[in-house]
Amino acid sequence: MIILELKNLSKNFGGLKAVSNFNMVVEKKEIKGLIGPNGSGKTTIFNMIACYYPPTEGDILYEGKSILGLRPDIVCQMGIARTFQLTRPFSELSLIENIMVGAFATTSEEKEARRRAEEIYELLNFNASLNQNALDITTADRKKLELARALATGPKLLLLDEIMAGCNPQEKKELIDILLMLRKEKDITMIIVEHDIRAIISLCDKISVLDRGMKLVEDLPNVVANDQRVINVYLGEEYVAAKSK
Amino acid sequence: MLQKLGERKTDKNQIPFSLIIVAFVLLILPLLIHNEYIIHIFVMVFFFAFLGSSWNIVSGFTGELSLGHAALVGIGGYVSTLLFINAGLTPWIGMIVGAIVTVIAGIIIGYPCFKLRGPFFTLTTIAFAELLRIYVSNTETGPFGIQLKGSMGLLVPLLGNAPHFFEFSSKIPYYYIMLMAMFVATWITFLIRKKRLGHYLLAIKSDPDAAQALGVNLTKYRLIAMIISSAFASFGGVFYAQYFRYINAARIFGLDLSIEIALIALIGGQGTILGPIFGALLLVPVGEYLSLKLGGSLPGSDLAIYGLIMMAVVLFMPRGINNIVVKVFNNVDNFLMRLWRLKPREILNKKGRSP
Repeated sequence: MIILELKNLSKNFGGLKAVSNFNMVVEKKEIKGLIGPNGSGKTTIFNMIACYYPPTEGDILYEGKSILGLRPDIVCQMGIARTFQLTRPFSELSLIENIMVGAFATTSEEKEARRRAEEIYELLNFNASLNQNALDITTADRKKLELARALATGPKLLLLDEIMAGCNPQEKKELIDILLMLRKEKDITMIIVEHDIRAIISLCDKISVLDRGMKLVEDLPNVVANDQRVINVYLGEEYVAAKSK
Repeated sequence: MLQKLGERKTDKNQIPFSLIIVAFVLLILPLLIHNEYIIHIFVMVFFFAFLGSSWNIVSGFTGELSLGHAALVGIGGYVSTLLFINAGLTPWIGMIVGAIVTVIAGIIIGYPCFKLRGPFFTLTTIAFAELLRIYVSNTETGPFGIQLKGSMGLLVPLLGNAPHFFEFSSKIPYYYIMLMAMFVATWITFLIRKKRLGHYLLAIKSDPDAAQALGVNLTKYRLIAMIISSAFASFGGVFYAQYFRYINAARIFGLDLSIEIALIALIGGQGTILGPIFGALLLVPVGEYLSLKLGGSLPGSDLAIYGLIMMAVVLFMPRGINNIVVKVFNNVDNFLMRLWRLKPREILNKKGRSP
């Protein structure tokens, strides 16, 4: 079953074509990777799916219906949750209250919201304590907080924008396990933007490669990793050399 | 999980026990002090703490600064007084009409501005208040032949001691009315902070985009805050008119009043529950004292001192004096408990250091 379909999506910022004619189909429970050099349009695509700004051309179908023109909060209520590449904790709230803001999307009761937030807090294994101010936590915890808040809204589709950047290998492994578990137990579909190629290969069912706003190739992780075009524009010869060692 | 480093009592929203003792002292204060002037100062402290709380709900919690809160206060005061003069309606009912009119005004100001990003709300509130001040000051007879009396202002009909017309010959009933209003405003702020609304408002203040991405309807929740705030501000205006038995546009719609309200909440601690009370307790007596001592020789000196206090607070306590005052009261709590050979709260919470 198809959960999300991007049709001929284009976005121009003035004269700059950030994304042009991008097509992608995401199946339910799929984990789709989105990779490419900096400035190739990955975050722009996320912003359009989350209705943060409208595409210049094209259409976005979520569960078969166009979501163009909707407000970001409505889209979130419909089940699309996103994280931000630059973490944006709510500085006025404690860690657990930050997660509760997400949980309030599904319940208006603060007891229930707190219970759900605490569940997610336990699941993600934060270093910081529940009541710590959200500004006083480590980078890895901030990344987890982005994920936690998005998860708390009870999403069907998660858009994860570089949540592993700044995490050490062990934390990355932990996050990968959590994401795989979420897909298995909660049937969450994910689109993941990530620069750690090892992480993305071990996570994704399919990877789509972007270059200057256009789709270069979309295929299984191992096929993509050995594709000469992808090596040329993104991975680089050194990656291939390092892998063969 | 419980043994994590740095775990300590950080729930700043808990109200210290010793503050309840202070509240009790305020309840019996008129029985102990018979000096009318001191009672008056306390009435003014409660009045500004109440208006500071009203401001805090919309501005302290959502970060949308209002610099025209006087407009909301003035509408409440004018509506109930005009109804009192022209229709003989008691201000107890007039205040409800006033609140409805003020809430409508609040929605008219808020709705367009809350859809925009940037300082538009602040600018609109200033403009709205100034517009009302200039219009009412220069209008003898308003629409439908309503006598606004221009810059003369309105005199509330004198009925002597008439409780059912919100008029008392002694200051003590006013003292209790305003004290209760302050308690109610604080209690409602406390509830807002605990519930979804408070979480959403503070999230909007910290980062509107991130809040919206989590399903928060920015305009709706800002408007809810504005509606609650407007209703409170309106009661402030009614009280002002009944307490002084006179209102004029220059004062009640004036920028001075707007800034005073905002300063009290900012210095007390925006987005906190008790901040406006602490702000008013610090600033109002200082202001009263200064205008008493220097009002003749150096008019405006109270505002200059407000400015200096503001600068000091911004430099040393950018989040207001609330956190420090609450910390002091928490220490008093611990001291009292030790006095009664009870375990300090920190042990009861099973967290952090032992005393």
